Amino acid sequence: MKRTVDVSIPLGPVHPCWKEPARVKCETRGEYVLSAEVELGYMKKGIERIMRGRPWQEVMFLAERVCGICSVIHNMVFIEALESISNIPVPDRAALLRVVVNELDRMQSHILANFSYCYTIEHETLGMYLLDVRENVMDELERITGARVTCAYIVPGGVRFDLRDEDALHLRANLAAIEEEITRYTGMFENGPLIALRSRGIGVLTREAAREACAVGPTARASGMPETDRRLRHPTYQKLGFTPVSREEGDNYARIMMRFQEVLQSIALIRTCLDTLPEGPIRGGGIPGAGETAYSGEAPRGELSYFIKTDAAGRVLDIAIQTPSIMNIEACCHYMLKGVASLADVSSTFVSSDPCIACTER
Amino acid sequence: MSLLQKVKNFVRSKSIHVAYVDVGSCNGCDIEVLACLSPRYDIEQYGIYVHNNPREADILLVIGAYTPGWEEKLRSLWDKIPDPKVAIAIGNCPISGCVFNRPHSLIDPPVAKHIPIAAQVPGCPPRPTEILSAVLAMAPVVFKDYEVKKR
Repeated sequence: MKRTVDVSIPLGPVHPCWKEPARVKCETRGEYVLSAEVELGYMKKGIERIMRGRPWQEVMFLAERVCGICSVIHNMVFIEALESISNIPVPDRAALLRVVVNELDRMQSHILANFSYCYTIEHETLGMYLLDVRENVMDELERITGARVTCAYIVPGGVRFDLRDEDALHLRANLAAIEEEITRYTGMFENGPLIALRSRGIGVLTREAAREACAVGPTARASGMPETDRRLRHPTYQKLGFTPVSREEGDNYARIMMRFQEVLQSIALIRTCLDTLPEGPIRGGGIPGAGETAYSGEAPRGELSYFIKTDAAGRVLDIAIQTPSIMNIEACCHYMLKGVASLADVSSTFVSSDPCIACTER
Repeated sequence: MSLLQKVKNFVRSKSIHVAYVDVGSCNGCDIEVLACLSPRYDIEQYGIYVHNNPREADILLVIGAYTPGWEEKLRSLWDKIPDPKVAIAIGNCPISGCVFNRPHSLIDPPVAKHIPIAAQVPGCPPRPTEILSAVLAMAPVVFKDYEVKKR
């Protein structure tokens, strides 16, 4: 069939609304997008090539720097993969502290993603409110781990620092404030008529399309696939009785609302952890040995998998990382962007799938 | 220096437009630059406007360790920024390559080889306050006596 293509419009790599460089090429008829294609390769540093042949003590810090936004989960999945190779036990208190830090990281990542979306649809007020709340979350991360970003908190057999009682008190007080604010901003997003005009029914990803594109994370859960959440298969989360939330609409609005809901869910999870936090050691010790494994965890953007092969000295012989964003970018370009009515919605739809180019290309 | 020039120097130091470009970092510095926008640090109270458009920028924040994908592109981006302009390197990556500067990696640091860098903010990642103070330190320098120098 012959297609009428007026013009091919490239967006990026330097774009006012995108944090990172990527190029989306849209074939359009007028402003109606017929098809879109993503061009990557601006951030390829070759981290996996650097990692090979290095001891785990070095690879641990490199793994964190695969992605600066969701650094805690990269740390956690890499270390838990090492632990599963060498059967290193984790004390109960450390396992719960890992969940606390991981959920704080998820909260700041989701709030940042929602800020980006609000900024893209030019609702700057709500965006700035969200960025202000995010600073509170970063404060808590810094108080517990000692760093805002790339904190290297999780080590084999436990965590680096204990949660002091006064920090736990402060965390609870801050969580109450964050919850109140996020609930208010969720209401603003839910009922804003301008936001609804720019978000509802735009960039729809149906359940079938999400399954076909192997979408993961909040993008898939906004299209009614709660079973994609890897936290369901994590022993600590199973003990906490975690059940994922999901929505059915699959449009931009659903994806942003999904992240707001997950932030509230994370707050509840952290509270449960603090309530059930047992006394005891935070580091059991243990030496990573030889073996190979594939291990997955739930990053803020979806399923993150590490394949690791180590030798007896704990050197990483081979490593392969699969990050969630690449699946979501594919789902975005091939399903969401098709049929988007105007070019202004292209950037907002792209941002709503929360692409993280740094971890996509590594 | 004429009075008019003094007034111009003062006024222009309070109206700076900033663009940022990520040439291959881990994203950690990007989110710290974004944190500068937040109401807590509030970069706009100093008259600095971040809006990522090179064609109207005065200060370019370069983040990342210069990957092969940016060859030619970073230089042409730098040429698109109207004079006068300065570039600030944010984080360890544009200065030394940080943890990525190892055998077999694809990066080519430092960024100063490719475009002129006026200031550097080390850290992995630097705190938003450090980024903010670097931008504020460069703000009065960018336009200082521009007409006099042009002559």
